[in-house]
Amino acid sequence: METNFIIAGFGGQGVLLAGTVLANAFMLQGKNVTWYPCYGAEMRGGTVNCEIVVSDTEVSSVHKQDTDYALVLNQQSFDRFVQRVKKGGTIIANSTLVEKTKPRYDIHYVFAPMGEIANSLGTSKVTNVVSLGVLSSACEIVSKEFLAKGVEKVLGEKKRDLLPLNNKALALGAEALLQKA
Amino acid sequence: MTEEKVLIKGNYAIAQAAINAGCQCYFGYPITPQTEIGEYLSGKMQELGRAYVCAESELGAINMVMGAVATGVKAMTSSSSCAVSLMQEALSYAASDELPVVLVNVMRTGPGLGYIYPAQGDYNQAVYGGGNGDYKLIVLAPSTVQECVDLTYRAFYLAQKYRNPTMILADGLLGQMMEPASFGEYPYPEVDVSSWALTGAKGRPARTIYSVATEEKKQIQHIYDLHKKFEVIAENETSYEEFNTEDAEFILVAFGSMTRNIKAAMNVLRAQGKKVGCFRPITLSPFPYKNIKALAEKGKDMIVVEMNMGQMLKDVKYAVEGKSQVSFVNRPCGEWLSVEEIVAAVNEIIAAKEGSISGKEMESRYATSI
Repeated sequence: METNFIIAGFGGQGVLLAGTVLANAFMLQGKNVTWYPCYGAEMRGGTVNCEIVVSDTEVSSVHKQDTDYALVLNQQSFDRFVQRVKKGGTIIANSTLVEKTKPRYDIHYVFAPMGEIANSLGTSKVTNVVSLGVLSSACEIVSKEFLAKGVEKVLGEKKRDLLPLNNKALALGAEALLQKA
Repeated sequence: MTEEKVLIKGNYAIAQAAINAGCQCYFGYPITPQTEIGEYLSGKMQELGRAYVCAESELGAINMVMGAVATGVKAMTSSSSCAVSLMQEALSYAASDELPVVLVNVMRTGPGLGYIYPAQGDYNQAVYGGGNGDYKLIVLAPSTVQECVDLTYRAFYLAQKYRNPTMILADGLLGQMMEPASFGEYPYPEVDVSSWALTGAKGRPARTIYSVATEEKKQIQHIYDLHKKFEVIAENETSYEEFNTEDAEFILVAFGSMTRNIKAAMNVLRAQGKKVGCFRPITLSPFPYKNIKALAEKGKDMIVVEMNMGQMLKDVKYAVEGKSQVSFVNRPCGEWLSVEEIVAAVNEIIAAKEGSISGKEMESRYATSI
């Protein structure tokens, strides 16, 4: 079975990197996975997105018309990708920058203040990693354990010093929904 | 730990595979969607003490590759569609000079400057050549990032083995996407180039490599020899993959990364009880004519799916020789035809065959007459 994810936000929010961490997590978990960016003449301050497809068997098309999960970090991305979520799918939004509206009745909504959580750690730069933490508690096929391994792999040796901060961001993201409930 | 899988972009995978294959020199000029190949090699080649030149133009780059490979070392360049057009003259010369040039074309949209959307519109140029004269390239078409690795290895080997310019025909989608791949080690033996390479004439008679033949007889023989060589290549190196073709009534045919979508469409159609298979040429040149013909002779209809206006379609029709029906499903460029779109088109083609949609109506929608 295939599941696909779109991660979207402003250029600079670390959307492509978040996708890379997620794809690495799936790879380390032994799944087949693809990552495909929107690429081209993108503007600074414009929106950017990437699509991750994970499958137990071979991944078919890497760029699909609709998505099971959309992880959106800003309002423009919410407005655009809420339309592309499959019926019964889920949109997970950064409520720090996204208004809590529910324009469709046939999908699930998850709102978490990812930006505020990142700021509580001292930097908005980890908003993307916080968002992955939130994703892991909203989507059962995303494993917290392998996300941590994915972060470690993407940071590599050179940026190892950033690992504790990122792990903290993952953990707080994963707890964000529990606290509310 | 070389067997470990890494999540890597198609472009980077091609670049790293070139390094592993022993590519000593890279010459290139940036163009989307393949710039990452040059970017990756600009750092790595320097670390390894190999040559990296950001050429002044594509014309410069391909001619530098010709010069380098003439000395017996492995070298390559990479580019995309409209810039590969600039290299066609050199490819014709390299084919005539029998120089093992390796060229990567990560296709974007044409004609003209076009745009950076992925497309498959350079099939004709790659397979039939944009340069003058009777020559053929070896053309390999990867469909996954793993194949970007495997076919880059193979390209370097085949180029030297047959002294024939070899092209890796990828597309923007494959160049930009990431997928796990393992590199292993370069799996082919080193080809002995000592009988022809220009290595300095110390202790042996001088050699020249050139493509001008003022004597008619010599030129005729040269073209026959090139042609004969390509027949050997076709005999030994034609490769393809097929899925569920044994019991299939309809066979989806695609190349490159579109293969992923036809395989998925096949699975959906099989689940609907339709007898659909898949066929995919890995070498576009030499093309697996015989294998497609054999399937057509069993009465299996072909449905060619491409991101162009019907280029490989002509080769499939040529292979089929009218022995079965050939239909065409396409989009010229941009967003790849989705699995759902392919399934819908195939269902209509099947319905037309069974008589529930008129043939005329179908033809205007899916079949391109040539």
